[in-house]
Amino acid sequence: MDTIAIPAINLAVIAPEVVLSVVAMALLLINVFVKSEQKGYLGYLSIAGILGTLLMLIPAWGSSVEGFSGTIIQDNFAIFFKVIFLISAAMSILITDKYLEREGCNQGEIYPLILFATVGMMLMASGTDLMTIFLGLEVLSVSLYVLAGFNRNNIKSNEAGLKYFLLGAFSTGFLLYGMALTYGATGTTKIAKIASYIAMNGVSSSNLMLVAGMILMSTGFAFKVAAAPFHMWTPDVYEGAPTPMTAFMSVGPKAAGFAAFARVLLVALPALKPEWSSLLWVLAVLTMTVGNITALYQQNIKRMLAYSSIAHAGYILVGFTAGNAVGTAGILFYMLSYAFMNIGAFAIIILVGKKGEENSNVSDYAGFGYRHPVLGIAFCIFLFSLAGIPPAAGFIGKFYLFSGAIQAGYIWLAVIGVLNSAASVYYYLRVMVFMYFKEPTEDFEWVKLTPAFVLCLLIAVIGVLVPGVLPGLFLELAQKAVLM
Amino acid sequence: MNQIPILTLLLFLPLVGALLLLALERREGMARVVALCIGLLETVLACSAWFCQCNLPVANAPKGFFLFEDLPWIEALGIRYTIGMDGISLLLVILTALVTVIAMLTSWRSITERVSLHYLLLLAMESGIMGVFLSLDLFLFYLFWELMLIPMFFLIFIWGHGRNIYSAVKFFLYTLIGSLLMLLAIIGIYLIHGSQSGIYSFGLSAILGTQFTSATGLWLYAAFLLAFAVKFPIVPLHTWLPDAHTDAPTAGSVILAGLLLKTGAYGLIRFGYPLFPEAARTLTPLLIVLAVTGIIYASWIAFAQKDMKRLVAYSSVGHMGFVALGIAVWTPVALSGAVLQMVNHGLTTTALFALVGMLDERTHSRQIEDYGGLWGKVPLLSAFFVLFAMASAGLPGLNNFVGEFLILAGSFKVAHIATILAFIGVILPLVYTVRLIQEVIFQEERRPLTLSDLTLREISILAALAIGDLYIGLHPAPLLEILKTPVALLTGGSP
Amino acid sequence: MVSLNFYLVLSAILFAIGTIGVLTRRNAIVIFMCVELMLNAVNLTFIAFSKYLGNLDGQIFVFFVMTVAAAEAAVGLALMIAYFKNRESIDVEDMNLMKW
Repeated sequence: MDTIAIPAINLAVIAPEVVLSVVAMALLLINVFVKSEQKGYLGYLSIAGILGTLLMLIPAWGSSVEGFSGTIIQDNFAIFFKVIFLISAAMSILITDKYLEREGCNQGEIYPLILFATVGMMLMASGTDLMTIFLGLEVLSVSLYVLAGFNRNNIKSNEAGLKYFLLGAFSTGFLLYGMALTYGATGTTKIAKIASYIAMNGVSSSNLMLVAGMILMSTGFAFKVAAAPFHMWTPDVYEGAPTPMTAFMSVGPKAAGFAAFARVLLVALPALKPEWSSLLWVLAVLTMTVGNITALYQQNIKRMLAYSSIAHAGYILVGFTAGNAVGTAGILFYMLSYAFMNIGAFAIIILVGKKGEENSNVSDYAGFGYRHPVLGIAFCIFLFSLAGIPPAAGFIGKFYLFSGAIQAGYIWLAVIGVLNSAASVYYYLRVMVFMYFKEPTEDFEWVKLTPAFVLCLLIAVIGVLVPGVLPGLFLELAQKAVLM
Repeated sequence: MNQIPILTLLLFLPLVGALLLLALERREGMARVVALCIGLLETVLACSAWFCQCNLPVANAPKGFFLFEDLPWIEALGIRYTIGMDGISLLLVILTALVTVIAMLTSWRSITERVSLHYLLLLAMESGIMGVFLSLDLFLFYLFWELMLIPMFFLIFIWGHGRNIYSAVKFFLYTLIGSLLMLLAIIGIYLIHGSQSGIYSFGLSAILGTQFTSATGLWLYAAFLLAFAVKFPIVPLHTWLPDAHTDAPTAGSVILAGLLLKTGAYGLIRFGYPLFPEAARTLTPLLIVLAVTGIIYASWIAFAQKDMKRLVAYSSVGHMGFVALGIAVWTPVALSGAVLQMVNHGLTTTALFALVGMLDERTHSRQIEDYGGLWGKVPLLSAFFVLFAMASAGLPGLNNFVGEFLILAGSFKVAHIATILAFIGVILPLVYTVRLIQEVIFQEERRPLTLSDLTLREISILAALAIGDLYIGLHPAPLLEILKTPVALLTGGSP
Repeated sequence: MVSLNFYLVLSAILFAIGTIGVLTRRNAIVIFMCVELMLNAVNLTFIAFSKYLGNLDGQIFVFFVMTVAAAEAAVGLALMIAYFKNRESIDVEDMNLMKW
């Protein structure tokens, strides 16, 4: 047995995570002294923390630093994802305050929880050891379970939290078992070493233990990113969770799941590419198709967006299946634009909703476009982007993902993806049709637009349109952040 | 590149106008006037492009293009903002500007709710269609191709009647599926060309020489053809068209028939044939058969229609069948005829839809059996009706005759039997048109109708179209002159 | 010495029992206990490999898994209490407010 050497500690690598954790803990303390009506200020403090973290991350772009004896790395790939997490966290926080006030569960703990979840995601993106990835994932998941059930007095939120918890823990079991088998087959948990062990000893698809490990880990990750057939929890959790948290959950954790998934498969197990790409092929097709077809007949808009987010995970899997530079860059670009469009759409849903979420049926949007022309147009922009219609960012992202698939020779996958995307247009359009076509049934009370909301929507609109019209810079960044 | 970026102006003026209308949400009268002004300005701009033809040759531009603009856009992907205008584009651009103005005028009174949104959509669509006719970069082309879809969907959906939801969705899904497959084919060409030459580009002139293996070329061409055939519409894919027309508001029908159908034909001329000459030749017999089937079948069905709008819609399918035939045989004469026929069809069918819309506004019926004896009551309207109906039937001296004649003359050498069959397609429209005119205009009045004759606005619409019809019918030489160079270049002859 | 395979088979059986339990049981707490069983099966695998391969990574991993499982249990039980307060049941059959 080898002795334990104290690993070289390189705090600079995890500085952003440390800062964010410290801010979160400080907020927990401050929270005790803040009156219930003023909890919103905690939100602004946490945004300040996020901005600080962002400022620390940006100078690190372009360099690749390892730390903690190779269990964690800060490279472009990680930084790109971290920026996505931080942006989505900040945008979700912007829309949280008013929502909590309306729902009457104004507790300040939500902000530290969001920050902890973000730290977890950041660890997942940086982790180069199965252990770090697992820990990041758990920090994220445990926070998310609470966030999903945050509205304690609302039975739907309770149910969402509990369901998420049970299925999340269940999927963690699979992920861990996969990690254990991979460890058994290669004798290490470090991603780089797994790859070099496989390369040196010529372990390949004939090694059943490794293949089983790969499949079980993929299952675990598929749960986390809500890929069919492991998506059953998604609609319930998204529908029941507080809407700002749904927005948060549908973007950040999904991106984090993909980040870790990509690192494990692309860096640790490139030797098994034929196996995992055929596995992902099936997952991608199933995910897109199930997501889109089920979304077609949803009445509840949150649920519809939940299925749509499943479908989007499917498109991302298309790029993933390709496994080449274009596909991976596509994943990065798509996740970035998805953050903006999805959170933007959820922001509008919060505005339209009433206390107790009675107002979340598609038919409640009747006449919305006339009542509030500017909000209506913003919503249309988000929906168009989700549908992948130019010139929104969603189109460029999809274009790039499918290009990757075609380049890798997965023509049929691209065809199926495109047909799915055509079907998806229908349910997004349906919302727009209600907005502009139907007369409003009655006057509805909606949350007053606060500066925070306006800011969030503004960021979202800019984030959808600018990468859509001038994607050059963003594509370049994504290409530089690719793992190979 | 010339000093004033006319093409960019052409592309974005309507879009800017659409944004302007956003601000005029509540002021409907104002919105109408602003939209019309933008439309007219666009028409003037389009016509001014006519006088740029002497520019030739333009530096860097592909042969035959007298207006050309090229700027880098998304360099990471080799996508450029490349737009250019040759003779074919010129005619279609002018047609687009004109038909849009007419669509605006036809909906002047009939659209009473959400007026500014209506005009906004018309302008946005104009921008999209202009983009399709001007783009020389496949990616750009696809963007505009999609852009023109959405406003049309909303036009049918919001202001349509009858089964408008069904029709709008059907229209949308048909065209979207076609165009998405085309997108995949575009990506495929891009990648194949990139791997062959090392330069990844979507530019048409860069891609033109790409060699495909015959199977790949066939698949890629099939994807393009599918997208274009849906828009065309070529017969088995035409079923969305009558529904969309029947339920669309007049302006929607006018744009749909006048412009949207042309984009499919244009795409085939500009991209389909030049990019895949070999595959196109392989599929030519199929296209010819489908075109001729379309001509005869559509005329046959048109004969049985009771709804005037549906009748005109089916006659459209027939006319576009001629265009398809002209393109399929790909001889200089037939191709000029096809382009000319596109313009003709744009003018004539627009007029017919406008007329049906006017009748509908007056009596709220489009059924043939509800009318009769219009001649005595509304002579002016009846006169225009007869004129345009005869033009549509291909009466010599009017525009459609010229186009059809050229197509038939050009295709006879290549495809005898098809041409002879298509000739039947020239006669059939006469039958249903004469029946239409007889029943609506001349027959005894079947039920008392109170009608007023045309207003000044309506007269100006119809007169403008009638002038176009007569001009092309009697003196098509200038237009053919414009088409000569681009058609010769496309078909591989010397200009 | 007992060979590695025995440990692996045992942990696989435990894992399977846990999985089946999660899928068939109705009481949320029992489900959660089944999940714990799965995690412990994994722990057993890790330790067996660690011993067999002669490196400590597996054992360190197990510590983390146990810590995390404890944190998860805290959160999970809290969620169950909150649910029970509103619904007076923690039967998953009753979690049917949202469907399709």
